[in-house]
Amino acid sequence: MASFDKKHILKIALLAIFNALAVWSAIILFVQRNYPILAVLVVGIIIINYVYLSSKTYPAKYILPGTVFMILLVVFPLLYTVYISFTNYGTGHILNKEQAISRIEAQYYRPEDPREFDFKAFKQDEIEELKLLFEDQEDGRLFLGIEGEIEEVIREDERLLDTTGDGEIDEINGNQRLERADIIQNVAVIEQMRFSYNDSEMRMRDLNSFALYRPAFEYDEARDVMVDLRTNEEYRPVEGRFTNDEGERLSPGFRTYLGWDNYQELITDPRVSRPFLRVFVWTFQWALLSVITTFGLGLFLAILLNDQSMKLVKLYRVLLILPYAIPAFISVLIWRGMFNPTVGIVNRMLVNFGLSSIPWLHNIFWTRVALVLVNLWLGFPYMMLLSMGALQSISGNLYEAAIIDGASRWQQFRYITLPLVLVALGPLLIASFAFNFNNFNVIYLFNEGRPAIAGAQTPAGGTDILISYTYRLSFEAGRGSDFGLAAAVTMLIFFITAAVTWFNFKFTGALEEVKENE
Amino acid sequence: MKKLLAVLIAVAFVIGLTAPAAASTPGELIIWADDNRVEVLEDLVPEFEEEFGVPVTLVEKAFGDILDDLAVEAPAGEGPDIFIGAHDWLGELIENGLVEPLDVPGVFYDDFEEVALDAFTYEENLYGVPYTLESVALIYNRDLVPEPPETFEEFAALVREISAEEDKYGYTMPQPDPYHTYPFMTALGGYVFHYDAEEGVYDPYDIGLNNEGAVEGLEMLNDLYADESVPYVDFDTMEGLLTTGDLAMTVGGPWLQPALDDAGIDYGIAPIPTMKGENPRPFVGVHGFMISSFSENRVLAQALLTELVATEDTMYRIYQAEPRPPVHKAAAELAADDEITQGFLESGAEGTPMPDIPEMAAVWGAWEDALSLIFTQEQGVQAAMDDAVEQIRASIE
Repeated sequence: MASFDKKHILKIALLAIFNALAVWSAIILFVQRNYPILAVLVVGIIIINYVYLSSKTYPAKYILPGTVFMILLVVFPLLYTVYISFTNYGTGHILNKEQAISRIEAQYYRPEDPREFDFKAFKQDEIEELKLLFEDQEDGRLFLGIEGEIEEVIREDERLLDTTGDGEIDEINGNQRLERADIIQNVAVIEQMRFSYNDSEMRMRDLNSFALYRPAFEYDEARDVMVDLRTNEEYRPVEGRFTNDEGERLSPGFRTYLGWDNYQELITDPRVSRPFLRVFVWTFQWALLSVITTFGLGLFLAILLNDQSMKLVKLYRVLLILPYAIPAFISVLIWRGMFNPTVGIVNRMLVNFGLSSIPWLHNIFWTRVALVLVNLWLGFPYMMLLSMGALQSISGNLYEAAIIDGASRWQQFRYITLPLVLVALGPLLIASFAFNFNNFNVIYLFNEGRPAIAGAQTPAGGTDILISYTYRLSFEAGRGSDFGLAAAVTMLIFFITAAVTWFNFKFTGALEEVKENE
Repeated sequence: MKKLLAVLIAVAFVIGLTAPAAASTPGELIIWADDNRVEVLEDLVPEFEEEFGVPVTLVEKAFGDILDDLAVEAPAGEGPDIFIGAHDWLGELIENGLVEPLDVPGVFYDDFEEVALDAFTYEENLYGVPYTLESVALIYNRDLVPEPPETFEEFAALVREISAEEDKYGYTMPQPDPYHTYPFMTALGGYVFHYDAEEGVYDPYDIGLNNEGAVEGLEMLNDLYADESVPYVDFDTMEGLLTTGDLAMTVGGPWLQPALDDAGIDYGIAPIPTMKGENPRPFVGVHGFMISSFSENRVLAQALLTELVATEDTMYRIYQAEPRPPVHKAAAELAADDEITQGFLESGAEGTPMPDIPEMAAVWGAWEDALSLIFTQEQGVQAAMDDAVEQIRASIE
């Protein structure tokens, strides 16, 4: 700490700002009683301060930011997905159990004699407790509500004073009547007030009146049952729903731990297992075709652009990168319009050239062809960019030597360019395979996984890949969304993708070059 | 220094997670609404704040995001007091415990169209203050169709006549699209879930999408697809054809108005042609204001809705901000001069509210699949609809 140079001061200043913000959020978390996140935050603060203040931890300074992001953006969502996959989170099971119980207990019904009362509120400045005077809307009887108790009073009761003489009571025992604006200011208090009246509860209905209600349910905590107060029927929690013996269920349900149920459903549900193989095979073909076509075209164009005799290289490069610059969301929808069999431009051109029109979007084979073409258009610029870089790194000497040895252009490509490019790009091709394996956007935006298959008992379409099919299963399910099932499916897909990727690495030895360099 | 900056960003991210967004607190109202409604409420809220002395915060959200955002934010204590939405969200909202029934005086009911109140009623409770009703009607290009057809026979003949011309289309509609196709299935007796009018409940096990009436109606429509008088297109393509003036007729809703006006098309609105003398019954969707069950201001929120929103003036302003049929009777009368709005209102009056039970989620996908198979002539109507109903049943059970 000998020299307090500028860099050092800046570091301390930034760390101070960081600490201030962190402590501030820690306080908020504490107030919100969000202890798990608070614990993580506190540990984080300590680690970060230690790393940046201690001289022993020099290398960690470089790794830490990346690690923080990885935990926040990769590890946390992953763990959360695992957690969700063991719950029933989804439509009808959004709340936690406490919230669901309080929602059900808040359900009231109006008694057979549904009385309503106009009310006036009175308040003495020093004393906080409000006094309420009720007038039955039907028979005009008066009631005084003080400290949770009501008593019937007569108009002539000496406590009720009409000081202004306008026929309205405006003072009770020195408490002044509140105007509407004051009632609004005190509405939170009045809303909480409850009076019992003939076995019913009297509570605020709107700004002008109270009415009689009866709670419909009561939760018995000791026995963990919800009791219907009208029929005395008991509802027990079953899979996140209070359910009675007849199987009737109360709304709302709640989130609960299901164990392996979601995974079991994946295995036993015929809606999943029946089309699984067909969908899986097409997913595999799709990913493979996507990689081969985009890489093939990308490499071909890169070689052309790399050729010394090529003119206007910069212009071509810009034009060829354009598809990459347009958001896939937009271009896929445009392609979908162009491939429309009746009015789309593709078929119109085919017809103009004297060919017959093709049932894109309606026929499984042709929809798949169209999808591969669209994805080729979307994906080749990326592969071209990668290949251009890889080509630059190949030494010109190799080609010179090959030419001297009399190698043809094809032989140069086959024995020099391709192997060297593949060495450099192998891992990226595998990543691209994994990406396309889960390329939901293109599949769903282009034709929503359709065409539908006639006579199918399951909703899997002809171009559905695993991820788009499970989207359908989870979000267009019987009763709304089923995030728990979706998370379980995600785990399944994760393991499939991981296995495929691992196998690819193993099989192609794509990482071996990297290892040698170590 | 970059790494420190990175850490700062990470921390800002954490703070973003923890800092409470506007949350429902006693004595303050938060309203979630879409851009058109926010525009109207912005003018009205100062009045309310003045009269009630209660601050009101307006949060603008895309209409389609409100349902999902509510499910995440309300239980976390960050939701609104009042939000707008469609009546067919009710089943899900109630199942999720996110919406509070209204408790309003009887006179309130007299101000609104019955179909709108019915739509917002779920098992005897009223859940929303409706402001507009939407449904589909026959939209026709006056240059190509001088007089809208009244019966399906007239309609089919006209479609074939116009489609015979070069680059003109007599009719098309977005496909596969159950919502737009539904009227043709209901004229002769099709339905989604049987509705018990006395009990006010739907029976999710009584599905009428493959009954005789539904199939016959679809077959009449499909004849036009089969002889290629009607092209099989999606929404965007249909809209394109409509705005270039190449399409004579379509079935659509008020959402097509802006595009038609921009394109300068001279168009009219008419009821969807009758089938064998029976009126097609389109889905009716009603939009309204609802109260979150996580609101800390039930009484205040209700006061705002009954005293500020459910008035002729506000309802008419909402209509002016976006001309969709008002369901407040007095406001609807003010809008009576608007032919287009009246056209949609008349068509909607024949309609039935879209079922609001959560089981509807299981219906759309299978139904779409069936329509796509039917209108591309891959499968017969009866077989396709039977399969769809089978899939829906499997999914619900």
